[in-house]
Amino acid sequence: MKARSLLVLVLVVILVLSSVTFISAQDEPIKIGLGFDLTGAESSLDLPASNGAMLAVEEINAAGGVLGRQIEPVLRDSRYEMDITAQIARQFVEEDGVAAVVGFTDSDSVLASGPIIQEAGVPFITAGATSPLLPEQVGDLFFMACFGDNVQAAAAAEYAFNTYGDTAYLLWDEGVEYTTLLAEYFRARFVELGGTIVLEDNYADDATDFSTQITKIRALAEQPDFYFISAMPYNVGPVVLQMRQAGLEGPIIGGDGYDTPDIVSVAGEAANNVFFTTHALMDSEIGTDGIKAFIASYNEAYGHDPENAFAALGYDAVKLLADAIERAGSTDAAAIQEALLATADFPGITGSITFSEGSHIPQKGVTIIEIVDEQFTLAQEVVPEVVPPANLDADM
Amino acid sequence: MNTKMQRNGFLVVLGATLILLVGLSSSGSSFWQGIFINLGMYIILVVALNLSNGFTGVFSLGHIGFMALGAYISAILTLPLDKKASYLPDLPGWLAPVHLDMMIGPFPLGFLLATLIAGVLVTLIAVVVGLVLMRLSGHFVAVATLGFLVIVRVVLINADEFTRGSHTFSNVTAYTDLWWVYAWVFIALIAVWRLKFSSYGRAMFAQRDDGIAAQSVGIVIMRPRLLAFAVSAFFTAVAGALWAHYLTSFSPKAFYFDLTFRVITMLVVGGMGSVTGSVVGPAVITAIAEALRRLEDVTLLYGVSQIVLAVLFIVIIVFRPGGLMGEREINFAGLWQRLRFRASVAQEGSAAEP
Repeated sequence: MKARSLLVLVLVVILVLSSVTFISAQDEPIKIGLGFDLTGAESSLDLPASNGAMLAVEEINAAGGVLGRQIEPVLRDSRYEMDITAQIARQFVEEDGVAAVVGFTDSDSVLASGPIIQEAGVPFITAGATSPLLPEQVGDLFFMACFGDNVQAAAAAEYAFNTYGDTAYLLWDEGVEYTTLLAEYFRARFVELGGTIVLEDNYADDATDFSTQITKIRALAEQPDFYFISAMPYNVGPVVLQMRQAGLEGPIIGGDGYDTPDIVSVAGEAANNVFFTTHALMDSEIGTDGIKAFIASYNEAYGHDPENAFAALGYDAVKLLADAIERAGSTDAAAIQEALLATADFPGITGSITFSEGSHIPQKGVTIIEIVDEQFTLAQEVVPEVVPPANLDADM
Repeated sequence: MNTKMQRNGFLVVLGATLILLVGLSSSGSSFWQGIFINLGMYIILVVALNLSNGFTGVFSLGHIGFMALGAYISAILTLPLDKKASYLPDLPGWLAPVHLDMMIGPFPLGFLLATLIAGVLVTLIAVVVGLVLMRLSGHFVAVATLGFLVIVRVVLINADEFTRGSHTFSNVTAYTDLWWVYAWVFIALIAVWRLKFSSYGRAMFAQRDDGIAAQSVGIVIMRPRLLAFAVSAFFTAVAGALWAHYLTSFSPKAFYFDLTFRVITMLVVGGMGSVTGSVVGPAVITAIAEALRRLEDVTLLYGVSQIVLAVLFIVIIVFRPGGLMGEREINFAGLWQRLRFRASVAQEGSAAEP
């Protein structure tokens, strides 16, 4: 009798325990890896992006989570060091067992982490790495929340050609893939339009003095209609400032590397007549309702306006992922991948996101921003007419 | 007797390392394997740099340039042909069809060949460079080798038919694993150890400590310096090749000041002139850096670990200017004796108990 009641007790305990673990497996939070360069050279883009991503997670959780489960963000700092970046990718897929990874705003970090995440069979959405070569280099579980560099370069080329004229000066940072690719795509589209590049030049990634390049520009018999300068966020301020100090007042045009508060804090008034392509304008007056709401909640969470469009991209990337998981009905990688591919007209802060015809790069509009008296103002929203192919080499 | 004890002590360390490696590779945790792979590559880099900077006193800041060349040479030689056609369409005709992917069973012979070719080519470059630079001493050689690093970077960025310029060189085959790295660690450590206690090594130390006295006993200063520089370039290039096939994507900017100073810090912390220090330095720094990084993730104080690490370096340099090991080495014989002593104490203890 005693033995029997003991047996019953044990059985009951086992039953209760197993049902408890069963319930907790259902309610277990969905882990999402957030990999960003929080302390290195890319942090002026990655910090806002990670803030945006964390904000999205908070909002999703406050609204009841995804599939009735909360999202548990696992934020890790990649420091813009590639061996650390590879290691945190391993931590995400092995130690943390994340369902998906969101992160990074530069292609080198994506290339260091992407193949590891892909091999582990985990979906990966980059917030702001814009190289259109990435999906081919990383694999089929990789998606971008932003447009490709070929799209923004084409938008810049068309805008500049139509607004300023058919002669351009082209300068790029030769040490970084992003700036080199952007310059190549710009050249391809601008020449295709019938434009002429009167002088091409480049500088080393760690340059702080641009006087050699500027002397060559000043030696030109006639100044071009505009200057296209493809620069990293940490070089944008000095190069613009030194151009203006040398008396070159013409329009300067660039890519989303300009979308950093540094440009205004370094160049100040000299940044007038500077235009650049980016993902969205963070302006609480003329922005869309989505942007206004985003700015308000970002302000509430962090005490200041979003620094740049990368904040919105980080936010969009997480929301895009959550939307896909919800539609997939599970955290299974193949289901998420399928749901992502089927994404159509997803209302992102940085524009509507559609992955069409199996592409892993969304079709999105490009925002062109003009800097007026140290303020970012909207110049134009464009969709380029013709976009150069991602792989220019293969095309030639 | 003494050499026998030394050998036994050495075998104990080797055995412990092997057990650790077998445990790691069967654990299936690529994260921890990654930590040890990174550590192994740093050990090779540091021990190679020690040969030049520590043994001969030629303070080179340009070694990462050799590493970059090793990485690119090996990556180009092993790049799959379809990738080669699309990434490097302008390769010269003789190089375009080269694809070292020979396998002997599961053993990638092609990778070994690529690594060796990279090592040998870089050694030749080092000899040419060394013939000029090894005539300099002190600050002058540091600046001149720094110049070499800058030149390598500019060449890599501009030789885009070989390197894709500043574009990230990606899709390198991932051959490097624990065994590859630690086989090379073993070879590098043995080679440098043997060199240290050979007459070449004594000549290196002698000309470093007093050039005139060394010359007066018949040491031609150029010879030991050039030998050290060349051997060290070989292993640095090998580390570069391992690095390339581990990270599988890299660009010229990966091989620059950041990495240079990280390796030099490990060297200084370990001890210039000590082979053991070249293991201790990277190991201590890797362990502390990883522990601090994890602390960062818990406390969310990102960036603090770099500050703590920097303060730690200052403390080490202030209190142990020669690094943790100075020029001393691990005492294998003493280690063996201590182990035996412990074993016998334990035996006596267990014998005395009943």
